Amino acid sequence: MMLHIKNGIVIDPKNKVIKEKMDIFVKDGKIVEESEIKKDECKVIDATNKLVVAGGVDMHAHIAGSKINTGRTMRPEEMRPVRSKANKFRATVGRTLLTAPTIGYEYAKMGYTTAFEAAQPPIGALHTHEELDSIPMVDKAALPVFGNWHFVLKYVAEKDLEKLKTFIAWALERTKGYGVKVVNPGGVEAWMYGKNCRNLDDEVPGFNVTPREIITSLIKAVEELRLTHCVHLHCNNLGNPGNYQTTVETIKLANGFKNDKRPVLHITHVQFNAYAGTSWRDVKSGAEEIAKVVNKMDNVTIDMGQPIFGTATAMTGDAPFQFTLHRLLGAKWSNKDSEVEGGAGIVPLVYLPKNPVHAVQWAIGLELGLLIDSDKVVITTDYPNGGPFTEYPYIMAMLMSKKMREKELERVSPYVQKATNLPAIDTEKTLEEVIHMTRDLPAKILGLEDKGHLGVGADADIAIYDINPLEIDPSNDYELINKAFRRAMYTIKGGEIIVKDGELVKEVWGKTYWVDVRGKVELEAIKADLEDYFKYYSIELQNYGVEERWIRMPEKIVL
Amino acid sequence: MEVNVVCTFCGSVCDDGLFDVEKFRSKRLCKLGSSKFSKKERIKSPMIDGKEVSYEEAIAKAAEILVNAKRPLLYGWASTVNEAIRLGIILTEKVRGVYDQCASVCHAPSILAVIEEGLPAGTLGCIKNRADVVVFWGCNPMEAHPRHGMRYSISAKGLLVKDRKARKVIVVDVRETRTARQADMFVQVKPGYDYLVFSALRAIIAGNADVVPDEVGGVSKDKLIELAETMKNAKYGAVFYGLGLTQSRGRDRNVENAIKLIQLLNRYTRWVILPMRGHYNVTGAGEVPAWECGYQYAIDFSRGYPRFYPNEFSAVEVLKRGDCDAALIIASDPVAHFPKEAVKKLKEIPVIQIDPFPNMTTLVANVVIPSAIYGLEAEGTAYRMDVIPIRVKKVIDTEYWSDEKILEELIKKVDELMG
Amino acid sequence: MLILKPKVDFVVCVEAEITPELATKDLEEIKKFKVYYGKEEVELEKLFEITKQGNEKKIVLEGDFSKVKWIGYRMEDGEIVVKGNVGSHCGSCMKGGRIVVEGNADDWLGAEMSGGEIIVKGNAANLVGCPYHGDLTGMTGGKILIEGNAGNYVGERMNGGEIEIKGNAGDFIGTEMRNGKIVIHGSCGFVGGDMRGGEILIGGDFEIVPSFKRTDEGWVGDVNVKGEGIIKKL
Repeated sequence: MMLHIKNGIVIDPKNKVIKEKMDIFVKDGKIVEESEIKKDECKVIDATNKLVVAGGVDMHAHIAGSKINTGRTMRPEEMRPVRSKANKFRATVGRTLLTAPTIGYEYAKMGYTTAFEAAQPPIGALHTHEELDSIPMVDKAALPVFGNWHFVLKYVAEKDLEKLKTFIAWALERTKGYGVKVVNPGGVEAWMYGKNCRNLDDEVPGFNVTPREIITSLIKAVEELRLTHCVHLHCNNLGNPGNYQTTVETIKLANGFKNDKRPVLHITHVQFNAYAGTSWRDVKSGAEEIAKVVNKMDNVTIDMGQPIFGTATAMTGDAPFQFTLHRLLGAKWSNKDSEVEGGAGIVPLVYLPKNPVHAVQWAIGLELGLLIDSDKVVITTDYPNGGPFTEYPYIMAMLMSKKMREKELERVSPYVQKATNLPAIDTEKTLEEVIHMTRDLPAKILGLEDKGHLGVGADADIAIYDINPLEIDPSNDYELINKAFRRAMYTIKGGEIIVKDGELVKEVWGKTYWVDVRGKVELEAIKADLEDYFKYYSIELQNYGVEERWIRMPEKIVL
Repeated sequence: MEVNVVCTFCGSVCDDGLFDVEKFRSKRLCKLGSSKFSKKERIKSPMIDGKEVSYEEAIAKAAEILVNAKRPLLYGWASTVNEAIRLGIILTEKVRGVYDQCASVCHAPSILAVIEEGLPAGTLGCIKNRADVVVFWGCNPMEAHPRHGMRYSISAKGLLVKDRKARKVIVVDVRETRTARQADMFVQVKPGYDYLVFSALRAIIAGNADVVPDEVGGVSKDKLIELAETMKNAKYGAVFYGLGLTQSRGRDRNVENAIKLIQLLNRYTRWVILPMRGHYNVTGAGEVPAWECGYQYAIDFSRGYPRFYPNEFSAVEVLKRGDCDAALIIASDPVAHFPKEAVKKLKEIPVIQIDPFPNMTTLVANVVIPSAIYGLEAEGTAYRMDVIPIRVKKVIDTEYWSDEKILEELIKKVDELMG
Repeated sequence: MLILKPKVDFVVCVEAEITPELATKDLEEIKKFKVYYGKEEVELEKLFEITKQGNEKKIVLEGDFSKVKWIGYRMEDGEIVVKGNVGSHCGSCMKGGRIVVEGNADDWLGAEMSGGEIIVKGNAANLVGCPYHGDLTGMTGGKILIEGNAGNYVGERMNGGEIEIKGNAGDFIGTEMRNGKIVIHGSCGFVGGDMRGGEILIGGDFEIVPSFKRTDEGWVGDVNVKGEGIIKKL
């Protein structure tokens, strides 16, 4: 199938194309040179005066796996709103929690074509892949969680970098995972004793290690293995007033590491880790301090974790934090202690604009998006913790328009005025910056070379929006921006048109990326350790892991 | 030749089984499990009204029945794999029917309780490694989950809890079961009074023992205090519960109250609670629909979208209320287990059965489609009682079609008929 | 006034979200009112004999409506009289008006009701005035009167309004109740679990959770949630 996208106004920051009228040619699922297609055999899409960009890349969302599903199971009140009846496509339901088909369709309608499951429990890896394979439309991958895995804790304690690297390679293959995710390192193991590791130098019970050592060792290992994606970290001390200091200290752990292609440390949903103050009664924003440090570093990136007013569901691998939240809110609570690997927790939430704490959280997310260089901050809501990913257009519009922020500030708690600096920030990011923060920047951080841009050789994942970037003024036309990015005029996935005028036209299935770095290690080196420690698992080593043929369309990336 | 097999009987899903292909016999599995790996009478061929037909003909007839029904019921699912269950949901949505699964007659109250309170749980490996106090409440693993104790909860050797001696085992039940006789402490509750016992324990643990009367649900206050202290002093505790709570007076509120007790205990120490699921993939029969359409059972698609109303759409209710005019029964035997009024309805409406083995339901089925045995002749994913995914294996070849293949073809046929 | 009589023996249940508002429409529109009959959306006249007598905001359901669900769903005013039994979800999310059921009612009677009045001359089933699964609040206003008995789950998570049962009730009366009043003239089973506020009066026997304080006013609790609900003998 060949496509000729005509006369579009292209924004492709990676290839330094900013609002240029340009034709795009697609053949066999890839973007190609004009010389490769036969113009008369092409399907022509008239994109005259419309914005043409790469499909969005969501590098951090909780969309597939055991805790997502328990979230659904325990929240029928969230699953009840009906979005569409079954017809040519599956029925779609859910308010902010969504079923798997709904997730795929909503990403597609919004012009997003790649989505990553942010935290995959290793023993539950197959469940994550089953759910990912029930999400249509997008290309996907999963990030297995390492920061409380006993093997990791052991090798870090023994200062055995080689075994740690070998273990990572083994684990990525067994989980068919993409990279090294770390959640509250050491803290979740501490939770097994009812404790937590809030500070970088707290001792992890039962192991002679600290979060500082875990993070630093994992960065070292990942950098020596030259994985496509860097260490992806959910910091210690999440959700506690005053925690911005832990975050600042953590960011500095990247000092001394260098990688030309991507950062060495990506810290996720920083909003939840950017609180100053001493309690919920005097909580303030710590965003400025964090922004200062991030802007100075050249090897650290973050994503926002923006709260959206309305219902949400807190679900993370940070089990002790989830219990704290349950106590704080008096809400229902699920917990999942996971073998010798980690844990998770789920608690329903709601963000209310008039609630001073929620308003501060909302403001902090935006502060991070505005104060941090657009080269270092990605737009996310940490779906569904902050809110639905379907609200990315709201965030984009807010980052580009001070007027819109002023209007929003009128309806939120006045506490925001003294607890944050958001009202004073005049920054209005440009359209190209916001496209950068949702397309080629996340693709770069993930190491996905064929995603997030429209250069020749890229995957033909393209979104066309009903705005003219040469005429629109995001500062004033924020309502148009907010509306236009919700429903793509066209979404093209792998060269297939899947959405037209905001409606689904075709259902396709995406690839599941996973990273195979076994070639760089000697798996024999950890064989005895695995066989010995597996007696503490409740399944056999021979039955642990996911085989490629169980995945719908696996795409192995060999390093 | 011996190969590794994963057991497909109960929710323990033991994955250390051995199967001798020549002798057709399993090793290591308990009596219940090994019955799944022994030669049994099979349904020989697809049938329509007792006459042998081809798979294609049977599937065509089944599609016709489903498409023509006003509200078809698609029930069973707990003894098949996720891949088939997913197709089952897609099929039910297409024919605008009702999806229900075996949990509706056993652990549905657990699901309802999770909805109201959440589920503070952990995997079986956590319990094996850490639980120094294990409580079996209203369940009897020695008989219903025979290898559970040695693999996960009683004599299992763990990281921090080395063996049986390092563990305190408590049984709470209405009579002294086989498991109770192995326990360190047995608490006998008056049948149907667990709900009150949980409230009493919660009060005692939170420091309000003074309001608790001298006897609650047949248990003396002293015994309640002893139990409460034992639980509060555990380093890591686990409650396993079964049909004793879910199918006795109180049902979902019993489980809810147990969950509230566990949530309270987590303020002092660490506790988890787990349901002892009966079938090897009843967990999957609930998890798959949850991600496909938002709910775990009793799901009606008549309006073109999923609705969850267990009081009217669980299989027994839908049949009793005369709210169903065709049924597809897969991997289950409702005629043997359902109450009379529900079975009466099954005899009146057209019934399609998909199963490897003949059972009571086969006698009322108009269309019978024999399938391959998962775990022996076909592979797929199942979820253990703690929602860990385990792959059941294919170790011998067969001519029988798998549930997955049958449902794929059935969906194609339905699509054709519906245009 | 509108009179509806079932025309056929229902093969499956009918879901008819009928409110008294329908009686004020003209006959042609009423005949075409869509109801669910299994997976089919059918017009009212296909399943019911329809007689219109004047424009009073009143609907009379004559015959066996036990397989007809969602009668009175979200109604705001007017009256519905069922001269027989009625199916599940009768009076669900009711805001005002009056429903009289001369026979028995099924599950979910008056679920999440916020106003109006429901009278059942016979028995009700389970989940009277309760919240749907996962919803945090049940009944918030209005009154439900049951002359006969009720089943399990009555007035759970209630936050206002009144439920009166002349006969007996089952288990789980007023679980997690915050406000409102429940009166049971006969006996009931488990009552008061996690109650935070409100009042429950019982004429006969009952089994209260063992986490209530005995005071002169009656039982106060549930201490497990630091509740101040009151349970006492009628």
